[in-house]
Amino acid sequence: MASDSILDFAAQLNHAPAAPVVEERELRLVVFRLDHEEYAVPIELVREVVRVSDVTRVPHAPPHIRGVMNLRGRILPIVEIRTRLGLSRGEPTPTSRVVVVEVAGRIVGLLVDAVGQVARVGERLVAAPPEEVRAAGAEAVTGVARVGTRLLVLLDLPRVLRHEALDPSSPTSP
Amino acid sequence: MNPGTFLVVDDSKLHHQMYQLIFSRSELAGSTVFHAYDGREGYEMFMAHPELTVVFLDLNMPVMNGLEFLHRRQAEHLHPQVPVVLVTTESTAEDEARGLEAGAWGYLCKPFAPEQLLALVGRASSRLSQRIARP
Amino acid sequence: MTGPDHPFAALLAEYVAECLPLAEEVVEQSLALERAWRDGHQADELFRPLKGTLHTIKGNSAMMGLTGLQTLAHRLEDLWGVLAHEPASRGAGAALFVRGTGLLADLVRATASGPPPEGATTDYLEEVGAFLASDRGAREAAREERRSPDRRAADRRSPKASGEIGADGAVTTIRVDSRRLDALLESFGEAMIAHAGLGEAMRQISARRRPTAEMAQLERAMLGLDRTLKRLEGALLETRLLPIATVFSRFTRLVRDVAHDEGKRVRLEVAGGETRLDKTVIDRLGEPLVHLITNAVIHGIERPDERLAGGKPAEAVITLRAVQRSDRVILTVTDDGRGLDPEGILRKARAIGQAPAVETPSLAEIYALAFLPGLSTADRVSHLSGRGVGLDVVANSIRALSGNVSVGSEPGRGTTFSLRLPLTVAVLRSLLVEVSRERYALPLADVAETVRVRPDTLHQVARQGMMTWRGEVIPVMDGALALGGGAAESRRYCVVLRSAARHRGLLVDSLLGHHDVVVKALDPSLGRPPAVAAATILGDGRVACILDTGRLADGWIEPVAAAAS
Repeated sequence: MASDSILDFAAQLNHAPAAPVVEERELRLVVFRLDHEEYAVPIELVREVVRVSDVTRVPHAPPHIRGVMNLRGRILPIVEIRTRLGLSRGEPTPTSRVVVVEVAGRIVGLLVDAVGQVARVGERLVAAPPEEVRAAGAEAVTGVARVGTRLLVLLDLPRVLRHEALDPSSPTSP
Repeated sequence: MNPGTFLVVDDSKLHHQMYQLIFSRSELAGSTVFHAYDGREGYEMFMAHPELTVVFLDLNMPVMNGLEFLHRRQAEHLHPQVPVVLVTTESTAEDEARGLEAGAWGYLCKPFAPEQLLALVGRASSRLSQRIARP
Repeated sequence: MTGPDHPFAALLAEYVAECLPLAEEVVEQSLALERAWRDGHQADELFRPLKGTLHTIKGNSAMMGLTGLQTLAHRLEDLWGVLAHEPASRGAGAALFVRGTGLLADLVRATASGPPPEGATTDYLEEVGAFLASDRGAREAAREERRSPDRRAADRRSPKASGEIGADGAVTTIRVDSRRLDALLESFGEAMIAHAGLGEAMRQISARRRPTAEMAQLERAMLGLDRTLKRLEGALLETRLLPIATVFSRFTRLVRDVAHDEGKRVRLEVAGGETRLDKTVIDRLGEPLVHLITNAVIHGIERPDERLAGGKPAEAVITLRAVQRSDRVILTVTDDGRGLDPEGILRKARAIGQAPAVETPSLAEIYALAFLPGLSTADRVSHLSGRGVGLDVVANSIRALSGNVSVGSEPGRGTTFSLRLPLTVAVLRSLLVEVSRERYALPLADVAETVRVRPDTLHQVARQGMMTWRGEVIPVMDGALALGGGAAESRRYCVVLRSAARHRGLLVDSLLGHHDVVVKALDPSLGRPPAVAAATILGDGRVACILDTGRLADGWIEPVAAAAS
């Protein structure tokens, strides 16, 4: 009878084995350069990397917002991550890129000098940041990783972006 | 309880969403639910699906109301094995008697809690499996 | 009461969508019944269906666990029963019924933001209980009771509408979630921007190459696309247009209630309800209109004996009229009351340090002062004054809709508030300007005039730039100071901005013409920069800020600190 087989089939579905859980021990990081330092953020937060097109200034915008840029019809805020980390403001160069990230539901673009390849770093290679790095923008650093001769500074992106209007939980500036 | 196939006939979109919520979040998750918004539409769907586990039929509807639906089914001897639950906002002894006379298998009074609906489905399913078990 | 754990808590929006129109219908019908019964008609065809609708609301509320609403609906059904079987009780009973249906509708509406608070219905239920429990004779003899002002005011401070989907009478309508229309409109905005980009690219190509047959074909195709997009825009914006009557319908009851509390007799007349406005504008219009109408009844209209003494009919009239003029809708709220008092306004303005610059201001200038914050036209403290129902609040709401409001009056004869509103908020007719190599869009409706700057018209008065314009002296602001930018180059043009109270000039480098731009909200990450209302993407793909001309005109922009450039 039709109802029989339907009930059986449904019962079968309920007993299908669950998908196995895969252990992940490796960090995948998007690496970018500011001045001569290399910084990295987890790839899960990065939506895409695009070239820099015209950035329109927004009067009275919060500090560290360089302006806004047209990203396929979306008006994307561009964060001057250099100043946020205590470096001087820079001008875009031919290698400059915008790293489009999504943090806490907000989508913004980070203006960086250049973007490198995605680095795969085993978790155990990440160490606490040394004193020198603790200097400017220190609280935004989660650790450092040595990859060959390079030193990658791992950024706490939610913390970096937690500044006045960039923080979804803070009251918006009037 | 296993998921089944259900038909809801009610003119209130809100109620349809309530039924859908109950079906999708309970032990009946995975069930197929058909939706009709008046008695006539409901009757057409009823004709097309002899495998229905339970039909939930509102009493007060435009075009064809619940009682008319039941009377027509009785007259045409359509799918007598499918249990039809009459859903009403008031229920006196006479209303219940009239509904049962017209062929309703059960009664559900609004407002009802999800548990009441599930209990009815449980009874309907066990009755069905009893019928299947009999050779 | 329903809490977030209730099995059907997620369906609250659907409950409101289904039950609010029903509840409003019941309100309208009960008001009509009250009038009909007062005039001596039976009006059975109006009366009978009410019970069924109340029954449906009761059932739905019960399913949702909204026991307060369920009980209220149930009592109203009981009250209906008494009114049905004891026609002689319809005097006081009808008024009680009307109040109950109003309370029901308000509570259903408020459910959109959460379950009603405890005790929202207690007082009313007590009254109904007493009415029903009293014997038949008492009911028939009862006169409508006057309740204490505080309770009436509390009833009136019930939550405001949060936007209703207008229902067309015609059968050929589908109900669509307005968010889908928003999404559709946004996609259309993308298409317009892409189209502008195509046009820009085409212009660049044809500027550099000799014309060919293929290019001519491309241009024709672009023109065709242009026409299609314009038609599509029109059709899309049409779907968001609702008749303004959806907002007007609330006011009959409001006028009746406030007038009753104030011991005045007022009638509301409505004209042009079929005039249509964008849904967003209509949603946000309710509150300012409530303020204006309440103010009119409380302050503008005299008591019946005063009116009779002045040769006016005892019953006052408030007229709500809507009229469409090209791409604007003009809404007027007119009363035939005592009018504004120019001397009083001037006095109070001076008292708060906001005297007009000229010695003898015109009547129009004086009336414009009425919208200043801190000015109150109340001559006596009313029980509503705790809320500060000021005209500046109204002006701000209307300005937030890219509209403006003004007032005119004839002392002793009446007052008229005029609201000018745009038909749509999605596409803006704007004036593009350039300041320090950055482009900005200004809503054209707020631009009074653009003039070439002549040095002999510019003066500095106590560090405030001023300019003579059409016989007026208006303050001016350097665009770069207000918006940031390079060193002060000589600005060649002045854009004269208008707000409700004044004109103010904005000095810019160049004028780039009129453009229809798609309004895009600023990302919340940008905070709320005071001078910027929104943004848009121009034909060349670059972003331009849309300026908040209201704030600029009122002079509330701090100069930009010298940027670290």
